[in-house]
Amino acid sequence: MSTNQPLPRIAVHSLTGCAGELLVILENLDKLLPFVHVTSFPFAQGKNEIRPVDITFVEGSVSQPHDLEKLTELRANTRWLVAVGNCAVWGCVQRAGCNHCSVQKMIDAVYGTNSPIEALPAAPLDHYVPVDVKLSGCPIDATQFLAVTANLLRDHLPYVTHKPVCLECKLKENGCVLIEKNLPCLGPVTAAGCGALCPSVGAACYGCWGPCEEPQMEAMATILSEKGYQLDEVLGRLQAFGAPKELFVRLEKS
Amino acid sequence: MDICYKFSKESFLDFFKLMQSFGQVHAPVRVSEQSFSFRPVEKPEQIAFEALRTILPPKKMFFPQRETLISYSGKEVKDHTPEPLAQVLFGVHPCDLAGLGIMDNIFSAGPPDSHYLARRQATLVVGLSCMPDKHCFCNSMGTDFPHSAYDIFLTDIGEDYYLQIATTLGEKLFDPKPDFIKTIDDQDNQSYKDFWTNRDKAFTSNFKSDNLKQIFDLEKDNPVWEELGKRCLSCGNCTPVCPTCYCFDVIDVASLDGNSGSREREWDSCQFTGFAKVSGDFNFRPGPVDRLKFWYRHKLHGFDDSYGLKTCVGCGRCTVSCPADIDDIVGVVLRLQASQNESKKDESA
Repeated sequence: MSTNQPLPRIAVHSLTGCAGELLVILENLDKLLPFVHVTSFPFAQGKNEIRPVDITFVEGSVSQPHDLEKLTELRANTRWLVAVGNCAVWGCVQRAGCNHCSVQKMIDAVYGTNSPIEALPAAPLDHYVPVDVKLSGCPIDATQFLAVTANLLRDHLPYVTHKPVCLECKLKENGCVLIEKNLPCLGPVTAAGCGALCPSVGAACYGCWGPCEEPQMEAMATILSEKGYQLDEVLGRLQAFGAPKELFVRLEKS
Repeated sequence: MDICYKFSKESFLDFFKLMQSFGQVHAPVRVSEQSFSFRPVEKPEQIAFEALRTILPPKKMFFPQRETLISYSGKEVKDHTPEPLAQVLFGVHPCDLAGLGIMDNIFSAGPPDSHYLARRQATLVVGLSCMPDKHCFCNSMGTDFPHSAYDIFLTDIGEDYYLQIATTLGEKLFDPKPDFIKTIDDQDNQSYKDFWTNRDKAFTSNFKSDNLKQIFDLEKDNPVWEELGKRCLSCGNCTPVCPTCYCFDVIDVASLDGNSGSREREWDSCQFTGFAKVSGDFNFRPGPVDRLKFWYRHKLHGFDDSYGLKTCVGCGRCTVSCPADIDDIVGVVLRLQASQNESKKDESA
């Protein structure tokens, strides 16, 4: 890279989320700083400009009108929009909750009737704007985040795995908690990237990275119900992290 | 013809030390209540002699789960062909030896895989006899007896191990012959034969394999497949645990400076929906049924190529590793064969 060239510009923003992604990015910012100029990152720095940038990382779901305004403005000012974390990619627990009841009822219950609070049904970024790269996680994996950034800095669309957690678990040669302990492990239907964190310590995967590519939800429900888990419990687990309702149409009919 | 000796089980420590003189010993170790894994060991007490099948088969020693193939820095490209230290793989059962033999053929066929072969050539393989459990069906696949791929093989003949040496690599280990190694007599040969005869009688699950190719051709639309496909999670557990599944993905890993990076390979699985996806978003094995049938066919029929090699060795790993219980190969083959017999009856009626 020529030293005369200005550094590529990045922006890091949050909508409705827990800031987990922001923390991972902050922790790894020293690795990025030699190669990028951080135009805005309100969580980490005082001076922030909204101006055209090369890459914008957005965490959190769109859950309020001002989330949507912010997202629209960020999209208009970036070449690459990267959704980071389960909230931005799938909608996470906010969306799972909203899938079950009306937003107005929730506002009334939490803030009382006639409150000035405005809310939207929680949704991932791609419900409103085109998203170039989706990097799920809860929170995201630092290695994947750096790899995605490295590729985008060269204008390459990065490879993000959508294979199931079971692959990472088997490659680590863990005993299977679904088979050996009859735990309700969602590894078969959950996207990898975490390194099979929970099964590696003997716990069931609870699906926090969202669904893998074409998850076999009905088969998963069948196998869990054969192990004695009730269908509503199974559905609750499968949907807890915002997996879209379309994946469960056949299952809910059964 | 193997050179044969014996040694007392009480002298196993001497044998272990001999293996250590060759290199780091890897042997089955218990990793959970039901599972074992080939791991480096420093003393015989660590070895789980009772292990029938490890979670991952011996292939991981030569074709690791993930490895760097090449890396670059500036214009320099570095080849990562390993220069492995000598090592010993102890406790390999006949089915796994057969699997290793198949992998040796596949990875040495042109162009040879330098990474696999470098590790393979640095390894002394010590086989060990076993008694089958209810999931073993190597006798159906003709892989129940050590034929090749081992340097040394031990058969449990009671108080002693009957020792077969098959290669010059193995011979060198016993030159000069250590004191604990004893010559064999007719009685020992008889004990050896008795062991294998008793072992043959111990199988509880098996099928006739002479019509496997025909079965898989003729029963390709059998309702069994839809039934299994509906239960399939597409989790891919059946392939990493298979001694002869060799598919991998290649991933280029860029670095932030834009000036260096590496090319990695990682085990992949034909059971993942993305495996057979091609440009245009077309997938020639779109559903779990297609993928499962493809895998069964490769294992028990072989690809439709000039080799037509059946690659199942009857170890039973897929059967015990499938959360949906659909890799019950013995059960599936018996059902397909039963359908064949039904249709034959119909014809003769």
